Amino acid sequence: MSVQYMPVLWNRNKIFYDAVLLIAVGLYLFVFIRVAPAFEDVSKPIDGAILRMRAFGSCAFLMLTIILCIGPLARLDRRFLPLLYNRRHFGVLTAGIAAVHANYVLGWYFNFSPTDKYAALLSSNTSYGQVLGFPFESLGIAALLILFVLAATSHDFWLSFLGAPIWKALHMSIYAAYAFVVLHVAFGALQGPADPIFTGVVAASVVLVCGLHFMTGRMEAARERGEETAKASLQENGWVVAGDLDDIDEDCAKVVTLNEDERVAIFKYDGKLSAITNACAHQNGPLGEGKVLWGCITCPWHGYQYNLADGRAPAPFTEKISTYRLKLIGSTVLLDPNALPPGTHVDPVEIGGAA
Amino acid sequence: MSWRQTKDAPFYVGYLNAVPKPLLVFLSIFAVCFAGGMGLAALALSSTQNDPGSGGFQWGNRFEQAGLLELRPYPVFRVPADGTTPARTYMLSGQGKRGVFGPAKANKETPVNLRGVPVNRGDLTMIQVGKVEATEDGPTGFQPSDPVPLGRWKLSGEICDGKCYAGAMRPGRGLAHKACADLCLTGGIPPVFVSTGPVDGRTFFLMADKNGNLLGDEIKDLLALYIEVEGDVERLDDLMVFKADLATARILK
Repeated sequence: MSVQYMPVLWNRNKIFYDAVLLIAVGLYLFVFIRVAPAFEDVSKPIDGAILRMRAFGSCAFLMLTIILCIGPLARLDRRFLPLLYNRRHFGVLTAGIAAVHANYVLGWYFNFSPTDKYAALLSSNTSYGQVLGFPFESLGIAALLILFVLAATSHDFWLSFLGAPIWKALHMSIYAAYAFVVLHVAFGALQGPADPIFTGVVAASVVLVCGLHFMTGRMEAARERGEETAKASLQENGWVVAGDLDDIDEDCAKVVTLNEDERVAIFKYDGKLSAITNACAHQNGPLGEGKVLWGCITCPWHGYQYNLADGRAPAPFTEKISTYRLKLIGSTVLLDPNALPPGTHVDPVEIGGAA
Repeated sequence: MSWRQTKDAPFYVGYLNAVPKPLLVFLSIFAVCFAGGMGLAALALSSTQNDPGSGGFQWGNRFEQAGLLELRPYPVFRVPADGTTPARTYMLSGQGKRGVFGPAKANKETPVNLRGVPVNRGDLTMIQVGKVEATEDGPTGFQPSDPVPLGRWKLSGEICDGKCYAGAMRPGRGLAHKACADLCLTGGIPPVFVSTGPVDGRTFFLMADKNGNLLGDEIKDLLALYIEVEGDVERLDDLMVFKADLATARILK
């Protein structure tokens, strides 16, 4: 929720989040570069520049893995939701760590030559026609470019400027970046001398990211099957049966799937019912998984808030979301599937006043 | 806990400093596990890296000798026998990823005094040339020996750039090093075949094409891969030269 854009609005939670992030990354790099070499069994130490590029590269890979796990983890267990809150900080730091990795690669493997290092990067290995020996650097470059674009557009200014659908579509390219990174590693480091630990870490990352997304996909599918009532229910003059009143917890919502792109959150509060779109105006966060706090619907992702009756953020904020009409017959909740324009006032349904 | 919000479930709002206590405990445990896990991952990944070998610059053992420069087909430095020390042939490189074709051509078959820094790995020695000066105090009447043919061999191994593999970079081999090796060879560093099996006790070979000429772009797709290739081997003092017939090359893995 914003009335003006600031680089970062600090509070205690954000400082704690960033501190943990920096400590973990700092610890990783320190152990990798300074501590672990003492335990290596090598004839002569690995070159410092190569050690550092491996440290930063593997760190960026692990960070990207964690970033991609946060989303599904937060769906599977709501206690992970706070990790999602400042995930953009995680992403920006990952792009920075990946850039340091790339800088070491450029400054070591592609330096000390009559050829310009950037020209050398693109022209040294051009064996694009073979799997073994494929110029895996190009896959890393593609991933790095995506990470840069995502980091540069992570601020809410860009979300507002581009609009939520474009911004969201742009930021979904994080999956392409991950795929490029996995291929970068698979065609590069994994083709080198056998290293079971690194191979295991990469395999675990892929299994974890794919597995968690598969699990949440199944969960979503199961939830939507449960909501078939909304689609296949008895129709009464264009209204759909959204479920039973007792399905909804006080101050919480029931999410009704109208079709693949349209979900409605029906909130119960203070003996009343109101329906709004499930997509938050900020980052399309799942409002129906949020809660009514201080009389407002509160998004679980970043705490954006909306008045229940009209879907408008309380002043001075200006975000608006679509509202829906409801009817209550006995304990059955009926929903008009036609969304009203964002910010349209709809009188809440009084539960006690049901016919 | 599930996707479904309930009345009693703790709800986190990031811009408020007050974090529900159950979440605070959970997040504190997570923070410790996250940081600790990253540290353990670093220890596991860093301490189990493969041995890059014993190669390296011999900064404390500067090289300065008189001898003859030859192109075989890459620049080599021929040094006569001295007492009990037999004649030697050294591979040469310039500073960084550069060869020494210029000085070698300019001083071809003229006695020179060559100064530089050895890069050494086992019985592979390459001299990073610092200075080449024509000398009149060179070996008089020195006639370098002709190459001794050792027959046709099928060797398995990897084509590396001689300088990085000798120890200028650790590790200086493998696919991660492919682009660097390519750049080194383009700059004039001699390619070296690192065989998994010895010929006459040696596993490092200066490479040439099957006619003994410089290798060209045909080497690029084979660089840094584990390959099998046939060719004639000859010995030049203590240096092995492998005249690889790249038409017979086969990628093994």
